[in-house]
Amino acid sequence: MERTRNPERAGGQSQAEGGTVTIDTQASDADLIARSLTEPDLFTAVFDRHSAEILRYVYARLGPELADDVTAETFLAAFGCRGRYDGAWSDARPWLYGIAVRQIRRHRRVEARRLRLLRSAPADGPAEDHSDRVVERVTAERLGPRLAAVVAALPRQDRELLLLVAWAELSYAEAATALGTTASAVKARLHRVRVRMRQELGGSNPINEENDDE
Amino acid sequence: MSEITTLREMRPTAPPAEEEAMRMAARERFVAGTASRRGRQPWRMPVLAGGLAAAAAATAAAVLALTSGPVAAPGQRVAAGHARTVVTAAWTVREDAGGTVTIYLRQYVDPAGLQRTLQSDGVNAIVRPIPSASRTVGKGTITYPTCNYAATDVAPQAVQRAAVTFAGQDLPVRFIIHPAAMPQPSALFLAFMAGVGRSPKNGDTGVLALPPVVLNNDTAPACVPRSKPAPFSVLPAPPSAAKAKQ
Repeated sequence: MERTRNPERAGGQSQAEGGTVTIDTQASDADLIARSLTEPDLFTAVFDRHSAEILRYVYARLGPELADDVTAETFLAAFGCRGRYDGAWSDARPWLYGIAVRQIRRHRRVEARRLRLLRSAPADGPAEDHSDRVVERVTAERLGPRLAAVVAALPRQDRELLLLVAWAELSYAEAATALGTTASAVKARLHRVRVRMRQELGGSNPINEENDDE
Repeated sequence: MSEITTLREMRPTAPPAEEEAMRMAARERFVAGTASRRGRQPWRMPVLAGGLAAAAAATAAAVLALTSGPVAAPGQRVAAGHARTVVTAAWTVREDAGGTVTIYLRQYVDPAGLQRTLQSDGVNAIVRPIPSASRTVGKGTITYPTCNYAATDVAPQAVQRAAVTFAGQDLPVRFIIHPAAMPQPSALFLAFMAGVGRSPKNGDTGVLALPPVVLNNDTAPACVPRSKPAPFSVLPAPPSAAKAKQ
């Protein structure tokens, strides 16, 4: 197949089933979701805005076999419950991640297999020509198998939180919204998880104590 | 560096082309799913006149129609303001209310049916199979085109850009056609080597297809026989596709 360029992402318009709807590119997610209650096509704009990010997260956790299906199911579930969306959340990402997390739970065996693969495989993706990044990647490759084993052994709720922060790069507040808890609870739980990880990695922490997450 | 940073470095990522293909597949499923939840008619067998039904029977492809407006017979356009979607196992053609036509290609089969559907949506399309042959090379078999579509009357780049938008490099491939941007006379030419393409994650890249090209006339280009397997160069790639190659 000849290579073709990527699509123009939804800008001023979002093509939805049944026609083309015009959206305000500055509209917040909350506005779009509220308007989608009477104009369902507008929810397609929410998909176009966030589907790439959600798909990357699902792909990381479940792999290529389920990434598209679970992403579609996530947005279908979001569409179905958009009437309960809290309009105070201008950014729908944490809400969508929360739904994605619940969809991913239905595929525990696939995720377990995925984590087993991570234990034996080096981190993928191209290395960047930047010294800090190289150090990070070398560290990841060295510790990767042990870290993957630790992540796999974590209780489900801890693993979900950890991967929302590490892989989805959500803040504590966003992770709290996704998981339906408070930021302080997230912070406390994540601290416990990190202590456990260090212990599991052999007690001698090869990783600096730097807290880079909040 | 923290555990979080280390873990972040370990995050598995998909190649961009594969990621976009998965996203488009998810989008298609999402749009179909939301349409049925809006109280519109669910998937149902089409009420189509002979031509398309015959093509479907010939290819043994189950043809379904998702309608959000009247279903048109081949050769007949639906009224403005309505839209329709024809879905087969191989491809989806969606006519949008705004006049654009979107093609999703999942498998490279049934070129005649695709041509008929596009023409019924107001796109003067010429869809042709690329004749092919196979031969054994070492322990494997390669399939190659046995002729070149040597079209010389290709519309200018500005017309190509205005008439066709490309999305995705792998299956399902999406093309958005803007019929209003096609001059008179002109035709949209597509060709593909018959075969069942699959998602790149299944490792099947053994099919050949050309992106749609706008011709300055509506005459189907001749396929000039080639004597031996050669690189897949059939028609010049349209400008946007060529740009993506760089």
